[in-house]
Amino acid sequence: MSRVKHPQDFWAGILFLIVGGIAAWMGRVYAFGAATRMGPGYLPTVLAWMLIALGAFLIIRALLESGPGIQASLWRPQIFIVAAIVVFGLLIERVGLAPSVIVATIVASMASTEMRWVETISLAVGLAVLCAVLFVKLLGQPLAIFAWGF
Amino acid sequence: MEILQNLGTGFAAAATPINLLFCLFGCLIGTLIGVLPGIGPIATIAMLLPVTFSLSPLGALIMLAGIYYGAQYGGSTTAILVNLPGESSSVVTCIEGYRMAQKGRAGAALAVAAIGSLFAGCVGTLLIAAFAPILAKFAEQFRSPEYFSLMLFGLIAAVVLAHGSVIKAIAMIVLGLLVGLIGTDTQSGVARFTFGVPELYDGVDFVPVAMGLFGFAEIMSNLDRHDGMRKMTATIGSLWPTREETRRAIPAALRGTAIGSFLGILPGGGAVLSSFAAYTLEKKVSRYRHEFGTGAIEGVAGPESANNAGAQTSFIPLLTLGIPSTPVMALMMGAMTIQGIAPGTAIISDRPGLFWGMIASMWIGNLMLVIINLPLIGVWVALLKVPYRMLFPCILIFCCVGAYSIANSTFLIMMMAGFAVLGYVFTKLSCEGAPFLLGFVLGPLMEENLRRSMVLSFGDPLIFVQRPISLGILVLALGLVALIVLPQFRQTREEAFQE
Repeated sequence: MSRVKHPQDFWAGILFLIVGGIAAWMGRVYAFGAATRMGPGYLPTVLAWMLIALGAFLIIRALLESGPGIQASLWRPQIFIVAAIVVFGLLIERVGLAPSVIVATIVASMASTEMRWVETISLAVGLAVLCAVLFVKLLGQPLAIFAWGF
Repeated sequence: MEILQNLGTGFAAAATPINLLFCLFGCLIGTLIGVLPGIGPIATIAMLLPVTFSLSPLGALIMLAGIYYGAQYGGSTTAILVNLPGESSSVVTCIEGYRMAQKGRAGAALAVAAIGSLFAGCVGTLLIAAFAPILAKFAEQFRSPEYFSLMLFGLIAAVVLAHGSVIKAIAMIVLGLLVGLIGTDTQSGVARFTFGVPELYDGVDFVPVAMGLFGFAEIMSNLDRHDGMRKMTATIGSLWPTREETRRAIPAALRGTAIGSFLGILPGGGAVLSSFAAYTLEKKVSRYRHEFGTGAIEGVAGPESANNAGAQTSFIPLLTLGIPSTPVMALMMGAMTIQGIAPGTAIISDRPGLFWGMIASMWIGNLMLVIINLPLIGVWVALLKVPYRMLFPCILIFCCVGAYSIANSTFLIMMMAGFAVLGYVFTKLSCEGAPFLLGFVLGPLMEENLRRSMVLSFGDPLIFVQRPISLGILVLALGLVALIVLPQFRQTREEAFQE
């Protein structure tokens, strides 16, 4: 798409347009009501159309006025960071706090190209101990350190 | 002197050993995250929010407030020594502060930043003590139309004061408002935009949103840049500024305090904007403006005083009106809600110990921070040597454990991952997270007040201009809109954010 002169605004516009569209489409089933007694659909519908309008405006302007491009991503950091959060979420109820912290720390560390194994594993163990002491022992959060009971 | 008596109540409440400990703890954490680039007060307070559940209300608020203004102190250390903003509110301090460090005056720059901040913090605290009760009394007359107008004003101010594109800032607010409406509608009981997920019936919890948008998005963007090894200035030098430096720093600190105190009250203002504005002001009015860019002490004293003053006074709208004006204040409101305190006009009269105790703690905290930051500077410098590859996994783990312990729910973790991706996309597209979060928090409040106003007026939208206070607020809002449209201001605004 060589005609897009302002990629940042263009894609932001697309994002707003899509979200606004979904909100307007989902919001059509909620009662709109009248100004006197606004229904649950009143404000969402108004906001959704505002978002659509703003998105459309951004897209059109991005075709006319030029602006900075979108900086390239490395992908490696993004994938491993999100993966670490998801892994933590999947593990915490199955294996408990300490093992989840260790695994998530290792996955997260892979996001950096400078990762070193010995350092990462010591950090992971250290964090697991710290979290267990801080959150469970000191702050009394109802978390299991190990899911298999200790 | 009623104010002295009130402050007396406050000091009595804040100076108990346990509350002093919370204050110290908050200040230490604040300085720590202030010094470390890549984690800010928003993500930190969000992280610690679930933890405050088990604390006393006053202790929790004292600690969280300490983190916010403590970060203003810590941020300057990194800016001056490493030429990296430890905090977004210290971006401008890098310009003159680092130059001073290169000239061997790092110690003086650090001292001026800390003492300027202390002075500004004291003034900010006094301003809250003096004006919050008056404002709260005045706000007792507010009904739904006034609240709606006020929030509208807040959102407009957030747009005017946001960085970058105005249209994108408006769109981010609208998007935030929409996300804020997710959940069961309080009046009709209809579940809106929940996609049938039961966890969403109570609405989207804002802790994972704040962590995703401000914590993780930041980590991912930081890792995109290979910043390599940080270059640290070797010597800090004497902490004592020379007589000449002191003479020049004092008026700058006074101006910074004034501008910061004012901008802090405005919605969307807070610490970041205050420091930018103070730097721009110093560059315009200082007698030594030709020295700017080569290490002018005014460029450190002004912004550093301003960001601390702004951090303090940004508590005013929350404590008097119950309206959070910045993302950090939205989190403070969350902390109050967790403790079962409804922020608003009634806080001062219903919970004087809490209100005045918090104010007194800010003064105590500022004093602690000077001690934490100046004699102990070596400790923080050592921390800067921790490589980022070890730092970000720690941030990630604390966010995950924090988010999980809100409700022991895996769903919140997954939602946080979603908002992390969204936040990263926002940074790539130069969309600001702050207006989004503000809209998100204000969404439900605005809808409720809009509906109530409409019921009150039988559907006549003129109610907002027929009530004098509401009209006054809307006129102010219109003035702000005029500011954006006026070409002259537009230019200044762009210049201010260019730096």
